[in-house]
Amino acid sequence: MKRRNFLLATASGLAVVANPEHVFAKALAQAPLPGLPGGSDRCLVVVNLAGGNDGLNCVVPHGDEQYYRVRPGLAIARGDVLTIDASVGLNPGMRSLKALYDRGMVAIIQGVGYPDPDHSHFRSTEIWQTAAPDRYEHTGWLGRYFDDASLSRDNLFKGVAVSRVLPEVLVSDRTDIPAIPALDQYAMAADRNALASKAFWAGSRDRRLPFDSPYLAHVMEVEGNAQRSSEELPRLVAGYVAKASYPATPLGRSLALAAQIVGSNLGTKAIYVEHGSFDTHVNQVATQNRLLAQFSDAIGAFYQDLAAHGNDRRVLTLTFSEFGRRIEENGSRGTDHGEASPLFLIGGGVKGGLYGTLPDLRSTNMGNVRYTVDFRSVYATVLERWLGRPSATVLGGSFQKLPVLA
Amino acid sequence: MAAQAQMDVGGILRPQGRPDLTTALQPHHGTLGTRAAAHLLRRAGFGGTPDEIARYASMRAPDAVAALLDLPSTGSIAPPSELDDASRSYAMSDSMDRTMIRRERRQAGQAAITALQLWWLNRMLSAAPLQEKMTLYFHGHFTSRATPRFPWITYNQNALFRKYALGNLRELTRDVSKDAAMLIYLNGNQNVAAHPNENYARELMELFTLGVDHYTENDVRESARAWTGWRVVNRTDTVSFDASLHDSGIKTFLGRTGNFNGDDVVDIIFAQPQCARFFAASLLNWFVYNDPEPPLVDSVAALLRRHEYELAPVVAAILGSGVFYSERAYRALVKSPVEFVVGTYKTLGLKQIDEAALPALQQMGQRLFFPPTVAGWPGGQNWLTSGTMIARQNFLTRLLGSQTLADSSWLHGLPLQSTSAARELADTILQGDVAPASLFELQSYLGGAGSAALPSLSAENYGQRVSGAAYLAMATPAYQLN
Repeated sequence: MKRRNFLLATASGLAVVANPEHVFAKALAQAPLPGLPGGSDRCLVVVNLAGGNDGLNCVVPHGDEQYYRVRPGLAIARGDVLTIDASVGLNPGMRSLKALYDRGMVAIIQGVGYPDPDHSHFRSTEIWQTAAPDRYEHTGWLGRYFDDASLSRDNLFKGVAVSRVLPEVLVSDRTDIPAIPALDQYAMAADRNALASKAFWAGSRDRRLPFDSPYLAHVMEVEGNAQRSSEELPRLVAGYVAKASYPATPLGRSLALAAQIVGSNLGTKAIYVEHGSFDTHVNQVATQNRLLAQFSDAIGAFYQDLAAHGNDRRVLTLTFSEFGRRIEENGSRGTDHGEASPLFLIGGGVKGGLYGTLPDLRSTNMGNVRYTVDFRSVYATVLERWLGRPSATVLGGSFQKLPVLA
Repeated sequence: MAAQAQMDVGGILRPQGRPDLTTALQPHHGTLGTRAAAHLLRRAGFGGTPDEIARYASMRAPDAVAALLDLPSTGSIAPPSELDDASRSYAMSDSMDRTMIRRERRQAGQAAITALQLWWLNRMLSAAPLQEKMTLYFHGHFTSRATPRFPWITYNQNALFRKYALGNLRELTRDVSKDAAMLIYLNGNQNVAAHPNENYARELMELFTLGVDHYTENDVRESARAWTGWRVVNRTDTVSFDASLHDSGIKTFLGRTGNFNGDDVVDIIFAQPQCARFFAASLLNWFVYNDPEPPLVDSVAALLRRHEYELAPVVAAILGSGVFYSERAYRALVKSPVEFVVGTYKTLGLKQIDEAALPALQQMGQRLFFPPTVAGWPGGQNWLTSGTMIARQNFLTRLLGSQTLADSSWLHGLPLQSTSAARELADTILQGDVAPASLFELQSYLGGAGSAALPSLSAENYGQRVSGAAYLAMATPAYQLN
């Protein structure tokens, strides 16, 4: 209760709450279900490493001779690996992430995938986002989380996609989630006469129409949301000052916005960002090392910023990629589409360390890393132990929870 | 039952009240008038230009429907030329660097798909509207996703749908089952006697013809066996039947036993009363309103059976029916992004859709040839989120520049008087479906309320005010509804 009062005070302290019974703060009152942890102010940040991140050159099995045998042209030399233990280490570009790992803030889950893997970018991305390997789902797993959690309809920022198009992971049946590529791009293109336009939007709520439609209420609600959220968002987050220097990369900008949204206490439960493309069929090392360095640097700045505002324990970051890549390199110093790969859970609430099993490079699934952890186990863990919601309704089944959260 | 099976998604809403079943499918004989003409043109096509609406307004319903059903032959339609570039690149010699070939092929293929999207949008704008509306219906019904490496396959499927626009549903189902894009998308290409792949067999019944709960898992397996042997010839867009990969054993399917092939499976499916109900619900959803009542579905299903699944008489009956012109059907659907975009070009009397419409459509949630799932676009409320709404408004802002003002068939000719200009905008864009408060704000805007300079509408501020007011009229709730 005290915590909630404090947050309300912070929000009004920004002097942006025009309406005294402003609704954003109300969403913060969401309590976890009995028996489930999950504070009302927790947020999940999902990072899509799009294109298929090669797991073996990301979390490098430098202790395995077979790795060096099958990848003569693109294995990471032992001396370059950021060593975690005698078996594995991180890609040399990931110094910032290694520093977080050393502070116990990073869980690395190896061998994550799903049965009967699909090698199409499109389909496998869809599978990871809908959490439905065995059927076609039009809603995403986080979209279903929002529908299931029934957060206040008045909170327009309970979920945010930092992207141009709403990703499938946030598509839902009943929850309106905005896609905000950048603050200055989430706007109704400026009208020449803002005042008249505003009055017009108010006028368009007039229900005295010469027809009825089953969709009229929804159209009016969403038009109002679009108008209000695009107008209010810049003001709601205006009081936030970043306390880290973010790299000047697209992911750096995306995570800076994520930190700003979290720090502005809008009641946001999930944020989606994307980074890539990791589709390294050709000359992989230069491309992937650069992308992983960008990822690691942006995450480093993100947690520095969050910590400086006291938010690092509120934010859990989860990465995913549609698939890992083939174990053996191809003829173009790259790798082709593969299967299981590692993912990262990052944040002050994480029990840092290595989870899952080291990829077996000899007993493979036709040249690909076999999955040993179902990705839905990771989602179930996040839903139940972080967001405080039951996972079976969202995931369409029960999956083992992993002991990765503190 | 049928309606429920069809509507197994959220955000799909039926209008209040009940249909009058005694008159629902009776022909409507009256003269249309502006409102009903605009309604008919929105549903049977992508909206009308002001001239088209005026022309249809003076027609009687049966004549208007007959005019829309008079489709040109598809024989002389030429695909966009970018498709030829794409096919040339995929025939390139193997001696070239593999990566180069792959990249060039992908680029040419993507350019071809983009060209195809734009080509189709412009056909919706200017060709026979009902032909393109049915093509779009089939695209969302018998879904396949484009593979940019083989753009010809996507074109061929689009041409197949156009050919069958008002043709026979059973024959289309047979043909689309052996269509290259379908064989690739739903794995018919991997369906061989030794290792049957059930993907297509399942979706054929679940999503294309019967709906869930109207077949058994064994029917899926047996149907898959019947479909074995159809293959896309490697690296081409042609399909062949390989008898050595076909399972010619005895199958038991939907209660019948025999050495069935794929065509037999389609015939057995179409002999099920449920198949007619399934398509009846689907067509009512497309043309009339969502989640239609089961008795209404049954009436249309009876029509489908009576006409042996010939679409022309059934679509004519639907578009000419009492229920189609009822208040419950009016603006009872949400405009899809394609309907919104093409309809806006129509409303403004513009002649050509340009490439900027494609990213706008993607931001609104509809990429042609890339339906989100095998079930197509869910529609209804799902079209409208605050993000897609902003995308709709920003598309309008971009479109309503000075060039559009000059190109529009009517926007440059409004009276220089804010009250009558507002009225004319509301009538032409919204057929008068505007609330008093919105109309008042439209007048105020045109009259310069809140603007210090040039308070009244004049030749100097005309362009700015009129394009702004058109934007506002298109931001009203009615304009999002079809």
